[in-house]
Order: sequence, then C-alpha cells, then structure tokens
Amino acid sequence: MNLISGIDITASALAAQKTRLDIVAQNIANAQTTRTASGGPYQRQVVSFETELIRSQGSAGGALQSVRVAQVSTDRSPGQQVYNPQHPDATADGLVTMPNVNLSQEMVDLITASRTYEANLSVAKNARMMATRTLEIGK
Amino acid sequence: MNVALVGHTMVDPIFQSDNYVLARKLLDAAVVRQEAIAANIANAETPGYRRVDVAPDFAEQLKARLAAGDLSTESAAIKPRLIEDASARSLRPDGNSVEIEHELLAMNRNSVEHEYLTEIISQNIKQLKMAITGRTG
Repeated sequence: MNLISGIDITASALAAQKTRLDIVAQNIANAQTTRTASGGPYQRQVVSFETELIRSQGSAGGALQSVRVAQVSTDRSPGQQVYNPQHPDATADGLVTMPNVNLSQEMVDLITASRTYEANLSVAKNARMMATRTLEIGK
Repeated sequence: MNVALVGHTMVDPIFQSDNYVLARKLLDAAVVRQEAIAANIANAETPGYRRVDVAPDFAEQLKARLAAGDLSTESAAIKPRLIEDASARSLRPDGNSVEIEHELLAMNRNSVEHEYLTEIISQNIKQLKMAITGRTG
C-alpha cells in the first residue's frame, strides 16, 4: 500500500507518454532524412502501449494495471517519391524516396500525448492532495 | 451497541457510531476509487483496456447493514473491491472503454467526497477531545 494511492500507476503512465513524446520528436526531426545508417530513408517509429499488472485481487475480478511501452515498431509504409535529380540520394531517374513521416499526423500524436500526460499529472496532484488531507485527520 | 465488551475501552462507543464507521468505510472506498481512476487514466491509450471501478455491491452491502441497524459488527467483511466496469461502452476501434473526461470528473467528485469524509472523521475525534479536556482548542 502506497501512502499516495495509485502514484506508481500514474508514474508509469507519465513515463510511457514521455517515451511517446520522444518518438514523435524523433519522427519530426527526421522528416527529411533520406539516408540512415541502415540505408534508405528514415522510417517513422510508432509506440504501442500495453498493460502491466500492479496488483491482482485474486478471484474478485478487477485488478490494478499500470501501463508500459510494449514496443517501438517501425512504420513500413512506403515514403513519398519526389523528383529531385540534384539530390545526392536520387536514383538514376532522379527520384528521391522521402521518409514516410506525415507531419500533421505527428502533430496530432504530439497533442494527444501531451494531453494524456497532463491528465496523468492532475491525477498525481489529486492523489497528493488526498494523502495530505488524510494526514490531517484529527488536526 | 455493545458497550460492555471485555477489553474495550470507554471511548469505543464513539468510534463505533454509525456515522464514524460509515465514514471510515467510505474513506477506504474513496482511496480504492482513486487508484482505479489512476489506472484508468494511465491506460487511456492502451488498446483493449477496460475501465475498472469500485464494485457497486459495496454501497449496497453497507446500506443493507445500516438498514439492519448495526454497522459496527460484521462490517469488517465489507470491503471495497475493484471490478471491470461492464456498463462502460467502447466507441473506439481499439476496444478501450476509458473516456478521459469522464475519469477526470469522477476523480474530482471522488476528491470532494474524500475531503468531506476526512472532515467528518476529524470532527468525531475533535468532539471526543473536547469531551475529555473540556476545551475546544
């Protein structure tokens, strides 16, 4: 039992959303990267979440589950081909394969992640307030 | 109420009044609910997650005991537990049934309830102190 109830769960969510923000930042930063160490243009990375059992209640049914990053996978969809013969990575017919990063999609992801982060922060704040009030019982 | 139980002190009746026992039980439930809401909001983006909540039979059991007249005996067996909220529908393609606005509202509501209950318990203890010392401070 934690003094501040549920704070471990909220902490896991904050960490998970932070990872997602990092990945979004990486995607946006590499939106124009046409050459990577593994060759070919940058491929967009996607974060997926999964639950992690924190406390089971046995046969009672519900259990408390925190969240963690399940995996960071690569979006394999093909990137746009742009005609740009001057580009060092252009093929013989002058086409350059750009990364499959879609800026508007990344922005939506960014906003969703930061809103979810905020929601979790307010849960942490509320849990703290409740713990303080509990400690003030009898005062 | 059982005042003359062996090994019990004179202040026990105060800590076994219906209001006090009820407030204590509901305070437990408020803490469990806070944990449930924390888990729900944490998993707001997890595919397939189903929201959890305090089982509704907790309040019903308390009500039944209250109606039966004595809350102080056997009430230890009534514990708030978490169940998957079967009534929550999922409108999302990933099967997640959490609505973050709903959770935040529930959290605020729970927080007010928690404040109210801690206040009741504090008042009970203050009354006891006043009875002992004859002073309000």
